[in-house]
This record gives sequence, structure tokens and C-alpha cells, in this order.
Amino acid sequence: MSRPPPPPPTTNKDQQHQNPSLQEINIKLIQSGEKERLKELLRERLLECGWIDEMKALCRAFTRKKGRNNVTVDDLVHVISPKGRASVPNSVKAELLQRIRAFLASTAD
Amino acid sequence: MCLRSSSYTSPKPCKHLADYKLRHAFNGYDSLQNCLKTTPIGRTRVDNHNTKTPRCNFCNGYQGRLYICLMCSSISCSTHILLHTQSKSGHDVAIDIERSELYCCLCCDQVYDPDFDKVVVSEQIKGSCPGRSNKRRRLNSGMELDLKKSKQLIAMRDGRAKSCYPLGLRGLNNLGNTCFMNSVLQALLHAPPLRNYFLSDHHNRDECKRRYGEKLCLLCDIGALVSAMFSGDRSPYSPAQFLYSWWQHSSNLASYEEQDAHEFFISVLDGIHEKESKVRNSSKDDGDCQCIAHRAFSGLLRSDVTCTTCGFTSTTYDPCVDISLNLDTVNSSAAEKTGLSTLSGCLNLFTRAERLGSDSKLHCQNCQELRDTSKQLSISRLPLVLCLHIKRFEHSLIRKTSRKIDQYLQFPFALDMTPYLSSSIVRSRFGNRMFAFECENTDSSAEYEIFAVIAHSGMLESGHYVTYLHVNNQWYKCDDAWICEVDEGIVRASQCYMLFYVQKLLYYKANKDLSCNVSVESR
Repeated sequence: MSRPPPPPPTTNKDQQHQNPSLQEINIKLIQSGEKERLKELLRERLLECGWIDEMKALCRAFTRKKGRNNVTVDDLVHVISPKGRASVPNSVKAELLQRIRAFLASTAD
Repeated sequence: MCLRSSSYTSPKPCKHLADYKLRHAFNGYDSLQNCLKTTPIGRTRVDNHNTKTPRCNFCNGYQGRLYICLMCSSISCSTHILLHTQSKSGHDVAIDIERSELYCCLCCDQVYDPDFDKVVVSEQIKGSCPGRSNKRRRLNSGMELDLKKSKQLIAMRDGRAKSCYPLGLRGLNNLGNTCFMNSVLQALLHAPPLRNYFLSDHHNRDECKRRYGEKLCLLCDIGALVSAMFSGDRSPYSPAQFLYSWWQHSSNLASYEEQDAHEFFISVLDGIHEKESKVRNSSKDDGDCQCIAHRAFSGLLRSDVTCTTCGFTSTTYDPCVDISLNLDTVNSSAAEKTGLSTLSGCLNLFTRAERLGSDSKLHCQNCQELRDTSKQLSISRLPLVLCLHIKRFEHSLIRKTSRKIDQYLQFPFALDMTPYLSSSIVRSRFGNRMFAFECENTDSSAEYEIFAVIAHSGMLESGHYVTYLHVNNQWYKCDDAWICEVDEGIVRASQCYMLFYVQKLLYYKANKDLSCNVSVESR
């Protein structure tokens, strides 16, 4: 996991807390419990739009092909991850981004 | 919380899990109990009471699946979990932190242990309200066909009749926009429990007149109708007496205007119930009522309302004689992808957990405050005859308009209601658990066979109802006075409005009864 470079020093005092690193954002989300809530929201949206059903179908197809006893959870995760990531609807991404931005704005020092 | 004979098959533990259990029994599980935290929606995670976010010991990563070792509580990510078990002998079993599920590091796969799940589930249950016990319901002998009595009733055999059609099929004349009534009557009179009840003369008309002397009795009229249908006479019958009786009962619907078939269905069941409860002098609520309408159609719906803040769930039960379903249209799940609405889609929609809007906050007993809630319906007890009503008529109070939804709905001939039972819905809240839940009962079957379809064609104000009946492996179309054989493809393609399913066991028995009752005289 590579960390983004620290922000360049600026003379503007407002810019001190701008552009927090991805890691900092993540930590903030987890510690406040917001990440858990976002995950719940994501689960709900993905269920509604049929994404979960689609992934289930992919898993079933893969398991049928390889045989029930020759498949592990790790296999399934590897198989459906690329397709899964690619097929998340844009509306869902947009909504979550919105939520995250709103959260960061509300907790900005 | 009790352990019953399980309705699932528990997969055998892998060698490593079995070894672990031999050596450490429940030590690991017990110490886990204090570290389990359940979110209000029902996911249980392992929480080490650390303020720091869990990170992999090897790479410091915090993304993806993280596992905590049952032996030493060290945390590893999915990439490095193998390293952990290789570096420490005997540290084979770990727990997925986010999901509280067992993982075997050597098999690289999820494993299951009912004892582990018992610990997790009991922690999860601690917050919620236990449901009430299920009352057992044995098949009432009053709904079995009394062969001797029914033979007495089926007196007349008209030799001119089309004897190739099974007994009981007879057209009903339209008395003036009464196709709504004809279509429902065809379905009702062929519902095995009702048909058997009347054919076995459980409501004897002479006795009824003698005892109560009332001029009008809905049950007597239905009895007369059944006799007429099964008389062997194939000429169309005019249910005028019945119509008149029903008008007396539901005076608000008495007119020659086209009515809603579903509304009529409810009012007929209501009429039967009213009469029978007068007769028996009982005022039992619908759930326990023994009138033929309720014995055949009554089921129990369960509603769980969960506080999204603390997870406290309050459960209520409501009896129902049918289930009204919204079409799973473009707004929801699979229909959007394939463009096809299915009955399972509608049922999924019906049993889906729904977040109630912030403008309808409810008072939570636990929090003692108004909170956002999530509501989920499920079927606690299935009826013998399942009537599914598809809500095709939308009435908007705001816009003061009504419209009909013509969307085609695909429906199966064999229906398994297991996924929509309370036991299944409650079970799914706990994730992948090997656990026998209290509300599961394996008495009654959840498998159904279709026997009637009421289809609507045309527009809201000027439409037409027909009924398709499935008798002796053949589909028949009942269009008022006209009965004809149809191919099953026609039925599948029809625009269904009401679907009638009967429990599989009753279905096959009913068909057997009919066939041994018929002595076809061909000329």
C-alpha cells in the first residue's frame, strides 16, 4: 500500500488542513463509525439495484464449473472482484462520494 | 431459544477445525463472547475494544478482509493470513473480523461450526424481542372430501353433457358487468378445501333453514352454486340468487357497475365468516377462526420494526386472508436488468427490509426517543390456500386519478414459499449461521401448486375478467358462460391479477378425489 506524498507546504494558513491523505480520511471514517454506516448504505443500494444477485449468479456459475468441493471463498473473491468493481452503478458511487464529502466537511477542524 | 432438529445439513468440519476443537473445546469461543459487537442492522463484528483500527500484523494494511487468530488474537489480512499460520504452529483457525465467520488458514476457506454460530447468534439475539411460539395447525378433517355425501349431492347426470370435461366445470352467465363475480366464484369453488366442504354438505341447507329460518344465507347460496356446478349439467348457470344475497351483504357494492374482483373476493370471505360466526356464536379473531373461509385462506403475517440506532426490534403479528403484492417494476432490482417482472421479484419486494423515511420516526422502547426505523414483513404461518393479489390498480389520492399497470408478470405453476417465511427471513439476518431458530417449524409444507388464475384485460373502467382453472392436468378458460380447453402457454402469457395456489399435498389429494368420483358416461 503506497501512501500519497505529503501536501507541499503553503503560505496560506487555510491550506493547512486541506487535502488530507487517503489514509487520514479512512482513519477518520473508521473511528467515527461513519465507515460502518457507509457500508450499510452501500449494501442496501447494491441489493436494490440487483448487483448482489448478479454476483451470486457469478459465484454459482463458477462453483458449478469447478465443482462444489473445489472452490474456496478466496477463489470466489478473486473471480468476482474485477467484474464486481466494474459493475457498481455510477449513481451509487456518486451517492457515496456525496456522503463522504458531506461527512468530511462537517468534521473539518 | 431452543435447539430443534435442524432443517439444514451442517457441513463436516475440516481436519484443522476438528483438531482445534479437540484441543481447545470452547475456550476460544467463550472468550470471544465479550468481543462481539452487533450493529443495529444485524451484522456482528469482532471488536477487540481497541480504539485503534485493526491492521494486518505483516503489512499494516486495513483494507479488505481481516482475520483474527483464535489462538493469539493477532490480526492478518487475507494476503498474509497464510504466513501467520506458517509462522506459528497450531494457529490454524481464525475469524473474519467484519462478519464473525470462521476461516481455516490451511484450507484457505470458510468453515462452519454450529457451536461457534450458537455463541454468535445468542449475542445477536440478546437485544431483540423473541417471537411468540407457533401454534400447530393440523389439517382439519372438515376439509377432506366426504365421498359418500358428495355422491348424494351430485345427483343429476345430464347425458347430453360434454362428459369429456371434468366434473365441476360449468359456465356462469354474466348478469350485467358481473364478470368480476364470475371469475372469483370459479376460483373459489375450485379451491379444494371450499369445494370439499360444500360437496360434503357441511353446511346443510335444509338444516340451516330449519334452525335459523333466515331467508338469505350466503353459505346456502354458495352451497347451491357448488351443487349446480357439479351437477353434470353443462349449460351455463345464472348465479342470480347468489348475486342477490351478496348485494344484501355488501350493499355499498350493490350496483351493475363493474367492481374490483379482489374487493369482491374479500367481501365474500367476510360474508362467510360473518354468517358462520353468528352460527357458532363465537367472536374469535381472524387468526383462530374456524369458519371455512378462514380455515382455507387465513395465514399470519409477521412485521418486525427495528430501531436503526440501537437494534431493538418489536414484532407484531397480523392475520391475513391474502397477500397483496406490488409489481417489481423498473425501480427495483432484477427487473431493471432483464426488463421482466417475476412473482419471486414481487415476493422479494414484499419481504425486503425497508427503511421508513425520517418523517415517519417511531418511538423506540429501548432508546426512549423517536428514531429512524427499518420494517420487514415475512410470513409466519402459511395458509392452506394462498391467494396472491397483484396490485395493478393504482389510486392516487393526491392526483385523484386511478390507473392500471399493464406490466406483464411472470409467475410459476409450482411455488416454494420457503424464502418468504419468517423463519427464513429471521435466519437471513444473522448471516451464514448453522443454527436452528426458534420460529422454524417443519410441520406444514411451503410448497404450493397453482389451481386458478384470474386475469384482467382492458382498461381500468372497461375491463374484463376471466379465470383459468387447472383441473386434472389440463387448463380451462372460464370466460363467463364459455368454458374451453386452453394450452398452458396461454395461461402463462395472461395478465394475471389474482393467483390461487394450494398446498401441494392438498392439491394432489384433491385431484385424486375428483377423478375417483367421476364415472363418465359417454354417449
